[in-house]
Amino acid sequence: MIEFDRVSFSYGPRPVLKEISFSIAENERVAILGGSGDGKTTILKLVLGLLRPDSGRILIDGEEITQKAEDELRDIRIRFSIVFQEGALFDSLSVKENVAFPLREYTRMKEEEIDQKVRELLRRVGLEEAIALMPEELSGGMHRRVAIMRSMAAFEPRMFLYDEPTSGLDPVSADVICRLVLHLSQKGTGFIIVTHKVFDAFKLAERFMFLKAGTIVFDGDKGKMLHSTIPEIEIFLRELNFTPYH
Amino acid sequence: MRIGTQRIRELISDLQDFYLLSLNGLLGMVRQPFYYRDTVEQMDYAGSGSLFIILLISLFIGMALSLQLSAELSRVGLKIYTGKVVGISIIREIGPVLTAVVFAGRVGSGMASELGSMVLGHQVDTLRVFGVDPMKKLVVPRILSAVVMLPVLTIIGDAVSLFGAYYIAVFVSHQSGAFYWSSIRDVLVYENVLAGSIKPFIFGYLIACISCYMGLSAKGGAIGLRRTTTKAVVVSFIAIIVSDFVLTRVLLYVLGFTV
Repeated sequence: MIEFDRVSFSYGPRPVLKEISFSIAENERVAILGGSGDGKTTILKLVLGLLRPDSGRILIDGEEITQKAEDELRDIRIRFSIVFQEGALFDSLSVKENVAFPLREYTRMKEEEIDQKVRELLRRVGLEEAIALMPEELSGGMHRRVAIMRSMAAFEPRMFLYDEPTSGLDPVSADVICRLVLHLSQKGTGFIIVTHKVFDAFKLAERFMFLKAGTIVFDGDKGKMLHSTIPEIEIFLRELNFTPYH
Repeated sequence: MRIGTQRIRELISDLQDFYLLSLNGLLGMVRQPFYYRDTVEQMDYAGSGSLFIILLISLFIGMALSLQLSAELSRVGLKIYTGKVVGISIIREIGPVLTAVVFAGRVGSGMASELGSMVLGHQVDTLRVFGVDPMKKLVVPRILSAVVMLPVLTIIGDAVSLFGAYYIAVFVSHQSGAFYWSSIRDVLVYENVLAGSIKPFIFGYLIACISCYMGLSAKGGAIGLRRTTTKAVVVSFIAIIVSDFVLTRVLLYVLGFTV
């Protein structure tokens, strides 16, 4: 479904991705790991055409998107459901209005139907009672759950994209989000999760990519990753058998 | 040398982006879709939200101006011209500029910080993912609200300044109230009113474009947001003052005044 062919990207003079190539099938569960500023989120934005690469090609379902205009990308974007870091709920809108937003933009549903659909979506994540709250009144975990429901409100996505869905959450809330991510992919819908939490990545994904200084230094399964000798990956893996400093 | 070239490139690129935002913002006012609710919300924030501070500042500026002029003009025996000088100064120059400066400080900074925080919180990206053009949804309502509300606030501010000046002229400087208002009526001629009315539209457009541009190009977390907001206000102030001079020069020429 997604193919990157020698893609490079830089923010001004700072190169972020250097000629990376990979392909991801529609039903794959992929975790992209790496340190802060290594270009993990940039990959998700490139997939959706929110950023344009400096060079290289990005293909979605065999269709090159790098030269597409903003209105042509709409058709590409509805194939995905993205949840940005910390949810990215609209501050000025209530939970109901946030979830209803894509319904109003993409569908011609009546007000009662929108209300019904929003309640149904929020019920699925146990947040129906929060329908009238504003984003500032929600906890971090609630934020993410609302954002996940909003991202799939208007259409059934073919693939989910999660940007650090568990960062900044306590272990219980993070576990709730991980369960939700797994639940949503039960029907075979794949996802790409960008994270620096190896523990969560191992719970969710089956394929792991590791970014370092703008290049993919590792691409493989859990077993291969556990035996990797790349120093950065070894540091990341220490999270799994954490021992305090003395 | 290399850093200098890089800076020049960035500046040209920034100017090009600003020009495109300003142009698309203008065209967006006549192209669908229209976000009425967002426009009304922005007008409420920019208009009624700024009213009290504009009233307060305009009142005291009018009083201070009247006080200064009365003191100076009475030394040369021309105190009776206080109303006329105050009227021309407020209607043509001080009213539009002062209101625009206050508007830039309050509304412009608010626009820049709100949009900046939306960019940094990925809310603008979310809009794009949902197929919504941030230019139409975020920029056009803000430009429209500034272009409509700044002239309204300027007229109200001018009126309050003239009342403040009246209070000083009559109750402190002991001038005739009737003569003061007749002097004001004399300066409320077509040329002066036109000169004072055109400026707020231009200032409003500039403030909104600059603030939206700065907000949408925010980067770098909390410090970046602070820098963005400060830059929006400073650049707006400069734009107001420079464009005021240019507009004054052009209007004087067009209206047939000789300098």
